[in-house]
Amino acid sequence: MEFAPICVYLVISLLLSLILIGVSFLFASSSSLAYPEKLSAYECGFDPLDDARSRFDIRFYLVSILFIIFDLEVTFLFPWAVSLNKIGLFGFWSMIVFLLILTIGFIYEWKKGALDWE
Amino acid sequence: MFEHDFLAPFPEIFLINATIILLIYEVVLSTSKKYDYPPLVRNVSWLGLLSVVRLGGRVWENEEPYRYLITILLLAANAPLTVANLFYNNLIINNFTYFCQIFLLLNTASTIVMCLDYFKEESLNAFESIVLILLFTRSMLLMISAYDLIAMYLAIELQSLCFYVIPALKRDFEFSTEAGLKYFILGAFSSGILLFGCSMIYGFIGVTNFEELAKIFIGYKITLFGAQSSGIFMGILFIAVGFLFKITTVPFHMWALDVYEGSPTLVTTFFSIAPKISILANMVRVFIYSFYDPTWQQLFFFCSIASMILGALAAMAQNKVKRLLAYSSIGHVGYLFIGFSCGTIEGIQSLLIGVFIYVLMTINVFAIVLALRQNCFKYIADLGALAKTNPILTITLSITMFSYAGIPPLAGFCSKFYLFFVALGCGAYLLALIGVVTIFISCFYYIRFVKIMYFDTPKTWILYKPMDREKSLLLAITLFFITFFFLYPSPFFLITHQMALSLCL
Repeated sequence: MEFAPICVYLVISLLLSLILIGVSFLFASSSSLAYPEKLSAYECGFDPLDDARSRFDIRFYLVSILFIIFDLEVTFLFPWAVSLNKIGLFGFWSMIVFLLILTIGFIYEWKKGALDWE
Repeated sequence: MFEHDFLAPFPEIFLINATIILLIYEVVLSTSKKYDYPPLVRNVSWLGLLSVVRLGGRVWENEEPYRYLITILLLAANAPLTVANLFYNNLIINNFTYFCQIFLLLNTASTIVMCLDYFKEESLNAFESIVLILLFTRSMLLMISAYDLIAMYLAIELQSLCFYVIPALKRDFEFSTEAGLKYFILGAFSSGILLFGCSMIYGFIGVTNFEELAKIFIGYKITLFGAQSSGIFMGILFIAVGFLFKITTVPFHMWALDVYEGSPTLVTTFFSIAPKISILANMVRVFIYSFYDPTWQQLFFFCSIASMILGALAAMAQNKVKRLLAYSSIGHVGYLFIGFSCGTIEGIQSLLIGVFIYVLMTINVFAIVLALRQNCFKYIADLGALAKTNPILTITLSITMFSYAGIPPLAGFCSKFYLFFVALGCGAYLLALIGVVTIFISCFYYIRFVKIMYFDTPKTWILYKPMDREKSLLLAITLFFITFFFLYPSPFFLITHQMALSLCL
């Protein structure tokens, strides 16, 4: 009985993967409307089977760095959220300070135009 | 629980708040169309530095309260607590940290003062550099008062991260990019080694606090092949290597030359002065307080000897100013390590005095280099016949060079004398002997500066523009200290003695 959560986890992950593959089988474009461009894999505009050493826009790198930062912020938010009843008001305000500092970074990034994909 | 934990680091909290507010202010203002994107570097650096009140009728656009000097004043005058263990023993404040922090703030303030003109000349609109400098100052304050391996590593990382960016400030100059890249790679590598050492220490001992490490290591011989754990030896060795990388001693100095040469002169100034103070203070705390053992003496002896020899010999072949100054700073770190590796209280005291005088001389030299860089002062030969065009600057540079070389009545001689005195007192005769020999060798290239200034004629006569007020003030103050230090050195001796004592208690 202790392993019931694992069973639930297994079922959900199995279902999710099946849905992800199955839906594309069901709703993908069939013969008439398909042309090579539409059928090819998407790689942010790059040619998927080309040489890997082509030039690319530096904004991709910027996006990935920003993702790392904010993703780690969210990762820190998870244990905080779970244990908030134990750490009380002090823990709440500590996390708010952390979020504030990251928000300052976000404002800086916004104003500098790092989010404009232009 | 936390009654005084937020009161005691009040200057640091103030500094971080000031940095944040400054960052928001400049990013909002400089990208706003209404004010037509003003370049905000001078504003921000003044705000970051001190307030400009109405001095004799001159009015600046933005008047805001003192920032930097407030921090210094807060530390100096207020000092709510003089001895405290904070944040669950992560930070400590005692006399050692107190004076080190004041010293560090004064130096960073003077370095920012030097660079105000630099921004105007180079029209570098990167106000972020000032924010980064403020951030790394705060990290160094934290590093000096760190009392735990984790806190120390966090502070070192914060400082390194702020530093990785600024060598690459000049984006169209490939030396600058090279310097930034090299510094980043080496800095990340050395931080990794340091952290590995810290994790090994934690793995083998189970505590990370310096005080508890000190208690554990009383009377505990750490050898490689002894009955006791050799893992601790490896851990401390890794920590030592990580620190030695960051302080550019000899087996690990390769990055420093290209980084010092390629980065903008402003950044070289910061590199030569500020990290040395904080990392040396941290090393003193780690190696003399926590891991006190004669095993490390051999490593530091070797590094000291090698640094002195390399600093003396390799600088002779240099033609470029910044590379020569980089080698001379490597040599100087070698001399400072004499005091550090002796491990006695006088050793720490001589290290602190040596650092103080080294910083004064370096501020002097870099102020001159910054003042003379109008016509691309890259090679030493550009200094030719400076005696005829600018005699006072020549005298300043001569005195500073004599002080670097260790000529008697100047401050450099006093610091080196005390360092060798300590080495003899602790029995490190070889160290003192090699030190004296390398001083003789290094005299050559220091006095070559003087010779070029007075007796050489350059191919094209170079006229230098007069320097601004701030740099001249700074030059005057540091020159005054260097020249007249020997007359009344006792305040510094007393302060450093108290600092060294409070470290060992």
